[in-house]
Amino acid sequence: MSTSVAGGHAPAQERNIWQRTKHTLGAYWQPTKQFLGTYVFSRDHKVIGIQFLFSTLLWFLVGGLLALAVRWQLAWPWSDMPVVGRMLFSAEGGQISPEFYTMLFTMHASIMIFFVIIPILAGAFGNFLIPLMIGAEDMAFPTLNMLSYWFMWPAFLCMTASFFVEGGAGAAGWTAYPTLSAVAGAAPGSHYGQTLWLWGLVFVGVSSMMGSVNYLTTIIQMRAPGMNMFRMPMTIWAMFITAILQAFALPVLTAALFMQILDRTLGTGFFLPEGLLINNAEASAGGGQPLLWQHLFWFYSHPAVYIMILPAMGMVSDIISCNARKPLFGYKPMVYSIAGIAGLGFIVWGHHMFMSGMNPALGMAFMLSTMMIALPSAIKVFNWLGTMWGGRLRYTTAMLFAISFVSMFIIGGLSGIFMAATPVDIFIHDTYFIVAHIHYVLFGGTAFGVFGAIYFWFPKMFGRMMNEFWGKIHFFLSFLFFNGTFFPMHILGVGGFPRRLADPYHYETFSHLLPMNQFITICALGMGATQIIFAANLVWSLFFGPRCGRNPWHANTLEWTAPSPPGHGNFDFQPIVYRGPYEYASPETDEDYYPQTQPPPEEAVAQH
Amino acid sequence: MGKLASLFFFAVPIVGVGFCYWALTNGYNFPVDISVTGHRIDHLFWFIAALTGVVFIATEGVLAWFVWRYDGSRNPDAAKFAHGNHNLEVVWTIVPAATLVFIAIYQMNAWADAKMRPPDMDPTVEVTARQFEWRLRYPGADGKLGTRDDVHHVNDLHVPLDTEILVSLKSADVLHSFFLPNLRVKQDAVPGMKIPVWFRAMEPGTYDLVCAELCGWGHYKMKGRLTVESREDFEAWLAKKYQEQSATQDAPAEEAKSEE
Amino acid sequence: MCVAALVAVSGGCTGSVESDVRFRINLEGFNPAEVSTEQRQHLVNATVAFFGTPDEPYVFDGTGLDAKKLQMAAGPSWSDEEGVHRGLYRKHCAHCHGISGDGAGPTAIFLNPYPRDYRPGIFKFKSTQRASKPTTADMRRILHHGIPGTAMPSFALLHEDEIDALIEYVKYLSIRGQTEQMLVSRLVEADEELTRDVIVEELTLVVDTWNEAESSIITPPERPPVDTPAQLAASIDAGHKLFLAKEKSQCVNCHGPTGLGDGGDDKVYDDWNKIKLDKPAADFALPIQRLLPRNLRLGIYRGGRRPLDIYRRIHAGINGTQMPEFGPSPSNPKGALKAEEIWNLVDYVLSLPYEKSSRVHEPASVAQRARF
Repeated sequence: MSTSVAGGHAPAQERNIWQRTKHTLGAYWQPTKQFLGTYVFSRDHKVIGIQFLFSTLLWFLVGGLLALAVRWQLAWPWSDMPVVGRMLFSAEGGQISPEFYTMLFTMHASIMIFFVIIPILAGAFGNFLIPLMIGAEDMAFPTLNMLSYWFMWPAFLCMTASFFVEGGAGAAGWTAYPTLSAVAGAAPGSHYGQTLWLWGLVFVGVSSMMGSVNYLTTIIQMRAPGMNMFRMPMTIWAMFITAILQAFALPVLTAALFMQILDRTLGTGFFLPEGLLINNAEASAGGGQPLLWQHLFWFYSHPAVYIMILPAMGMVSDIISCNARKPLFGYKPMVYSIAGIAGLGFIVWGHHMFMSGMNPALGMAFMLSTMMIALPSAIKVFNWLGTMWGGRLRYTTAMLFAISFVSMFIIGGLSGIFMAATPVDIFIHDTYFIVAHIHYVLFGGTAFGVFGAIYFWFPKMFGRMMNEFWGKIHFFLSFLFFNGTFFPMHILGVGGFPRRLADPYHYETFSHLLPMNQFITICALGMGATQIIFAANLVWSLFFGPRCGRNPWHANTLEWTAPSPPGHGNFDFQPIVYRGPYEYASPETDEDYYPQTQPPPEEAVAQH
Repeated sequence: MGKLASLFFFAVPIVGVGFCYWALTNGYNFPVDISVTGHRIDHLFWFIAALTGVVFIATEGVLAWFVWRYDGSRNPDAAKFAHGNHNLEVVWTIVPAATLVFIAIYQMNAWADAKMRPPDMDPTVEVTARQFEWRLRYPGADGKLGTRDDVHHVNDLHVPLDTEILVSLKSADVLHSFFLPNLRVKQDAVPGMKIPVWFRAMEPGTYDLVCAELCGWGHYKMKGRLTVESREDFEAWLAKKYQEQSATQDAPAEEAKSEE
Repeated sequence: MCVAALVAVSGGCTGSVESDVRFRINLEGFNPAEVSTEQRQHLVNATVAFFGTPDEPYVFDGTGLDAKKLQMAAGPSWSDEEGVHRGLYRKHCAHCHGISGDGAGPTAIFLNPYPRDYRPGIFKFKSTQRASKPTTADMRRILHHGIPGTAMPSFALLHEDEIDALIEYVKYLSIRGQTEQMLVSRLVEADEELTRDVIVEELTLVVDTWNEAESSIITPPERPPVDTPAQLAASIDAGHKLFLAKEKSQCVNCHGPTGLGDGGDDKVYDDWNKIKLDKPAADFALPIQRLLPRNLRLGIYRGGRRPLDIYRRIHAGINGTQMPEFGPSPSNPKGALKAEEIWNLVDYVLSLPYEKSSRVHEPASVAQRARF
């Protein structure tokens, strides 16, 4: 191979095939690099936010289908399951196997929690909104930000791969309690599937920690002039406190995940007591405690549930205030409530473990702290109601979803009080009462809040409006089917109907609950079908939605002063903040909104 | 739009309460309680349900009312430029806080009785949960567990009526949970731990024993049965089991069929 | 409109639908490439004609099976008709034991040991001589007690008529499977056509073995008295000596001198796995699985814990495994051990879990220690 002159090419006739190929391809290299740098490996927080958004919405589809499979089995147990039955169990006539069922609900929960809710709140909306709302041109660490998205991809690959390895995906529940999860050979999916599951979560944790460092630094350091902490919108406060939660809680989960990986692969015994005889598997190292995992896991996973709702609470505050054309009621109490929820969130993890065999005296302690955490949530609900009181409500789709957040969160929050009462928890633990609670707060709460946020900020992200008519159809049908699916689950729980059972009906205690389960499944199918409307609306509007200006909602916060969509650097002027974000219906101005960056009139300035 | 939306939101408390009422009057309720202390759990549940029910109806009702009343397109009033109300904040912080603390303290005794004060007695039966069955071991005539005269059985837990029962709960392999819906008893079985569970059954009959912690593919199949019978019947049953267990010859045909 | 469509779809998908489930053809032990499509079809036609399908079992006159019970066990789960349970086998058993009773249902891969493959007609835990089939009472016992130490649970909480139906169906699957094996052998090795006479001939041979089981029950002679502690200790001591006597009893060769099951070094396999040795893995539904000698100190007795059960394990050995027979049998009328010696061994084996050294793993009671 002839060596080229330093910095130059050999003359055309002397190039070998390799050099000729490089030369030809070189013409495509620059544009490719540009494309990759702009749309794929972008450091622009907006692109990263949208990457998170689309990835998580696709996983929402996967998680939702898994849930429908679970519901099918509960409504028509051991019948021929559509699609999956024939694909995987044709020899049995489409009847799924019991271990398949355990895999279904495990992966449904794992995907929804780690690939949908957490990344869509912090990754999609946090990324997109934080710099825009505080008047910064991008995040503090753009490259770290890009990495936080791309670290999700190993997680995606691990989880996807886990479906196809021998033994199937993890099937020990999303809570992955040892010793079921810690001994390969204890259960299906306890071969490679569970290990891949653990690695997937490690990557999600790394991604989240990168994100939280970024958000904290950005919010603390990069606010526009005049944007002091108590002039930040609630979305930012929520993202800020969520980032603190992630930063402090995730390391504990990551440590626990590594401990379980070691137990499974290297024969350590963190969680394995001596004398186990699981499925006649080989003897394992002992000296460990299954409860240790539960403590470590829930130490993260309880703050995780607040990570999964606080950003939605923040966004809902902004949406309600804007669409009520009225200031947020009780801004500071709202901020302190979020902080209270987060702080208390670190000392309530034991309420997931009341029946676990831990010292019951701990149950007393955790019961008290858990009761108290209902308080800041209640305060927030009252303040949202106060925001709506006396307003001039606009029933945009975003507003409808935001109001339904409050409505559904009331139910979810109140049902939590039953669980906090430890004697009651003796009965309702691991029943469908818990499932109802989870889904009211995570779906009726967070997911509805996310839907509202998508309708609300879609114009800013893409410069086009989503269709309002179909949005409202999406809202009404989702609301209807959602309640039809999950409200009866409270009643099932009262009957003692257990979670995670492939066929509960052979118990006399539960055999009469089949018709209600069938009703729930039909509503769930309806809810799934309704999301097609949403997906169609989203995709159609991306290309054909009516174009909009900077501020279609006439909102106050800084992102609405940037172009739709904003370019690099976000703002075409230096934002300067003069007031808080909720000055709607202000007497100082003729309009019913008063952007944060609008300079005050002379007289007002003179009065100060 | 405001009217339609508010109707939807009004439907939440109305249909919610209505559905609960319909369910409770149509056979959807707690399983029959045959225990002595279980009623405390049921009572606590209904007490919390009443409190939260009031809050539920009030807040959802207010929410729906606001959606109706403050429709921007029909409401002629200007929006109130109010940022909050300090007194209101204080009231709706203190009142819920006090209520929650009250609920917390109100139930502490029930919890302590259920979990923290085991009766001072030898175990009636040792239950070892394993994938996917309940292995039972009764102390034999010598009253001690772990001797040759122990009676071994599976899934079919018999206990005498109106007697304090102490179960020594173990697990051979993974986490399970010993759930007796009709006695309001639930306790996780943890490998490496031996956990006391106690109850007193007041009604004879057969009841379900359910595993309530995911233990693998057979979690749903881990069905046990609790039989509550008179002390005489229980002793007779135990003796019969011991006889069968010590058999050195096949039982005659009729007896063999009824053996279980 | 969407909801109506969904309800229509879901309504039509419940319960009794035409199912196309078929028994899996059994070519294990043969090179599948050597069996032509015509031969397979011929075999399938033969077995369907004489045994029916998983949904519609057929009872040939000579088999002596109860058609009504088979109807209860066959069919898709929850396909109850007029208050009669159907689909029992598929609901309770098929996911482990397989639709064809081949022990290779979807769950089987995760189990150690694998579920029983009924098709060779070999059963381990029974009251009959080693080479005989189990009696109906034996099968009822297995369903009632399960097999402790394995994934086979107790089905005692089912109704007695459901248990009867399942026993009948297992027998049916075994008869069908074993007949099919014979027919495959004649078809592939001897290249015979499977005429009605050929099939009836093989079927009759198999059915005869089932009918013979009742007359093959092992009834042990009376056990020497062990009522006093001294008598019991003497019996245990005698049993211990026998256990260690290598030439006579061979126990230590597999079970080890301490009964932990660590005696032999060589890998051993049971009959269901032996055929997989030196054959391509793809020919079989499940990978090969080792057989381990029982650890006698755990107090887990797969075939039952009655002294009678242990006696029978020693007397007849365990069919299909390396556990040899020590009592008199049709092939060996004298037997390696006398009845009294076997009873001594029974007492020794039953005493092992209560020795101090067997009880290392007793967890501490939570009530006595204050741990989190």
